[in-house]
Amino acid sequence: MNRQLFEHHPAFGYRFIPGLKARMEHEAGGYLIRANQTGFRCDHEFDAARQPGRKRVLLFGDSFTAGDGVSNKKRYGDQLEEIVGDLEVWNFGLSGSGTDQQYLIYREFAADMDCDLVVLGVLVENIRRVAARFRPYLTPGGEEQFLGKPYYSLEQGKLVLHQVPVPKEPLRKDELPDDRVNPGGRMPWLREAVNKLGPTAKEFIQRVSGYDPVPDYTTPDNPHWILMSAILERWIAEIKHPVILFPIPLYQHVEESSSSDAYRARFAELANSTDAMLHDPLDDILSYSAKERRAFRFQNDIHPTPAGHRALAESLAPAIRKALSTSDAS
Amino acid sequence: MTSHVLGVSAFYHDSAAALVSDGRIIAAAQEERFSRKKHDPRLPTSAINYCLEEAFIEADELDAVVFYDNSLLTLDRALRSIVAGADGGSDIWVKSGPALLGVKPFISEMLRDALKADVPVLFAKHHTSHAASAFYPSPFDEAAVLTIDGVGEWATTSIHRGSGNNLEAVEEIRYPHSLGLLYSAFTYFTGFKVNSGEYKLMGLAPYGNPKYVDLILDHLIQLDDDGSFRLNMDYLGFVDSNRMTNDRFNDLFGGPPRTPEARIGRREMDLAASIQQVTEMAMLGLVRRARESTGCVNLCLSGGVALNCVSNGKLLRAGVFDDIWIQPAAGDAGGALGAALLAAHQKFGCARPEAPKGRDRQSGSYLGPRYATGEVTAFLDRHSYPYKHVADLDALASQAAELLAGGKIVGLMHGRMEFGPRALGGRTIIGDPRNVETQTVMNLKIKYRESFRPFAPSVLKERVSDFFDLDSDSPYMLLVAPVKKERCLPFELDMESDDLLEMVRVPRSDIPAITHVDYSARVQSVDQYDHPFYFKIITQFEKRTGIAVVVNTSFNVRGEPIVCTPEDSYRCFMRTEMDALILEDCILLKEEQPEVPEDDSWKVEYELD
Repeated sequence: MNRQLFEHHPAFGYRFIPGLKARMEHEAGGYLIRANQTGFRCDHEFDAARQPGRKRVLLFGDSFTAGDGVSNKKRYGDQLEEIVGDLEVWNFGLSGSGTDQQYLIYREFAADMDCDLVVLGVLVENIRRVAARFRPYLTPGGEEQFLGKPYYSLEQGKLVLHQVPVPKEPLRKDELPDDRVNPGGRMPWLREAVNKLGPTAKEFIQRVSGYDPVPDYTTPDNPHWILMSAILERWIAEIKHPVILFPIPLYQHVEESSSSDAYRARFAELANSTDAMLHDPLDDILSYSAKERRAFRFQNDIHPTPAGHRALAESLAPAIRKALSTSDAS
Repeated sequence: MTSHVLGVSAFYHDSAAALVSDGRIIAAAQEERFSRKKHDPRLPTSAINYCLEEAFIEADELDAVVFYDNSLLTLDRALRSIVAGADGGSDIWVKSGPALLGVKPFISEMLRDALKADVPVLFAKHHTSHAASAFYPSPFDEAAVLTIDGVGEWATTSIHRGSGNNLEAVEEIRYPHSLGLLYSAFTYFTGFKVNSGEYKLMGLAPYGNPKYVDLILDHLIQLDDDGSFRLNMDYLGFVDSNRMTNDRFNDLFGGPPRTPEARIGRREMDLAASIQQVTEMAMLGLVRRARESTGCVNLCLSGGVALNCVSNGKLLRAGVFDDIWIQPAAGDAGGALGAALLAAHQKFGCARPEAPKGRDRQSGSYLGPRYATGEVTAFLDRHSYPYKHVADLDALASQAAELLAGGKIVGLMHGRMEFGPRALGGRTIIGDPRNVETQTVMNLKIKYRESFRPFAPSVLKERVSDFFDLDSDSPYMLLVAPVKKERCLPFELDMESDDLLEMVRVPRSDIPAITHVDYSARVQSVDQYDHPFYFKIITQFEKRTGIAVVVNTSFNVRGEPIVCTPEDSYRCFMRTEMDALILEDCILLKEEQPEVPEDDSWKVEYELD
């Protein structure tokens, strides 16, 4: 039985309980979580003074960045500190969050922070969360309930924020005002049925059916992409420091059971239209063997293993060095 | 470099895990507290998770995992018993075979698989684990260690001698001659559950007349002058059948065993009194033997029989040893702690940490998880439960004392959870001991039972002698002592009646809720070091009432494992008629909580002992 990890936050929904120390039982044995006093899974306190000679990177993302399934030190953000050297990575990753919530976290805590670089680690699936107004969770008693989340709409080309302050009260399914729920994937009933067949059968079915986990990227005029890119554009524009846009692929892209062309094209277009540097790690990841890539996620949990995090960190490290040296030169 | 050793006990009853770093106890917990399954025997994956969490280490940082028992020796004993059991052997095989061959041979693999780490797995002997759990955390540099339980591998009773880091076996009594199993036979015969109902039998004893003592000594157990004993297996079923007793036993005590649903009668009370007296005689003999064979002046006790706090109190008063220390998790759960300590001190050569002056190394047995204020408020806020956060613990203790003095019952979840079967202020329900109604209310409206057992008192350490004839600390509620004579009220126990509840309701002292029918009490002395907040509450209660005692019962309903988390505590609070709940430094009043539907699910969730 695991501890409760999150507490309500009115601006962006929830955060890790400040000061939390926990070990989560997991199929890989278990992993250690330490949250700082601001409520993020980061070994650095966010009021720490700058260390002479040490660069500071602010890192945003969801559970792939927060590190579900692995201990703090094994996450790609923490591994970057070791690979790059003289670097501290302040990890604002929040499990289960969408890009909208990550932007709100930036505004709440990080907009005025002194740093050298900001990395936006966008799991490509986050596009679906941006469109969602509720997210499901299981109570310890096993009941499915739904928590509201802040969300944006585009009204006459402008981003309008809704559902803030975020309501505390969870809702039952029959209490939901609409069906804008992100269940953590498409067609949950089909996913559940396929999952029952086991991982091998699931992968086979996905491969032969040409399953695309994120069809929202297929065209530039998809409304979910338009909304997500609008949020990212505004976010990047507000950041006063160099920005790396870091789209994190799903395992279907890593294992080449789904095409990655569409999302890669969209992020490239977005980077071209902003000041952000794009670092797409997929080419680096595809240079590993198929067997190695399969080991980048757990047997059942789709989050990155320590090896998966290492691969992300090794891919990102040169981009960070380059961005930091460019900022030094300028 | 720090050495980390994980101890594990499992697959019999009450599985547990404990973690020792550089010889210091970091964490220990029973699996039942997490799984919510009483006496859960399964591999304690959640308890292991908790231990690693408390130490905040990865599984691959462990230097070893130590299992508390040697499965091969257990298998050897079981096979020989089955062969010796002739016709009945097949029954035992059906019952115990799957566990012996299905799980225990694969313990190393199971542990490594649970941890997902290639950690060395070591095996300790069952009684050595128990002995280590008693000696290493004790305040003594040198001591005799007496372990008495049902059976572990072959040993049922053992004497060790502990000195510094060393623990050497001196002698042992072997299966089937077992004081623990004899006591369990009577537990079974009087209609209680073996391995969990023994404390009820002990609580029943004061109502009885020990009229069967001679019968037991003539037919069931031979107590020798040298302190050893032998059982007469003609009357006991555990070697050649899967029952504890047999027809000859029934004939000896006037008929078949009581069924759990049947009313407790005079026979059961007298049997309880008789086996209690025989147990005390046997234990006294063993204690004298331990004194002679080790030459030590201090004694450590462990094994399930060491939870017999009535005997413990008498042993202390007998004065065979200068001082006695009893492992609070004396049953198999404590074996996990002992196994870890044994490896830490003997294999990894860790020095025993200095014991604080006059204190032990068990940290009040508050070795389980704590839930910080932020975790409590996150839980309460998520559900919008009304509460007040009182950061000033003096003010909170004062408020709790005020409620108690007004006759209210308060649930207390504060600090780290206790390791062992007793609630010691970490996960406790408390009440006013002066109030004659407290015992009835706590029994019927909180615990949902009609118990013949009184509750235990928690008393300020400095005030123990104002209330009890006890010269020693009893921080772990393992000693029974007489209530001071001047506090007692005249009361004649009707030795012919079998109406326990009528007897229990008669006031017997000015602290009636904690005074047993024989004017005894199971004492917990509370000091300001191990649980300062509990100490504050009792101090504040004394200021208001002049009584430095509160009633303490474990935070659970009948048959439920003691609560662990804020959620467990809130659920139990709302299921019962407790008036207030303290979760760390937040207080909740029942009258302010949202109404919940009538919830009787605990009746099917939790069985009677």
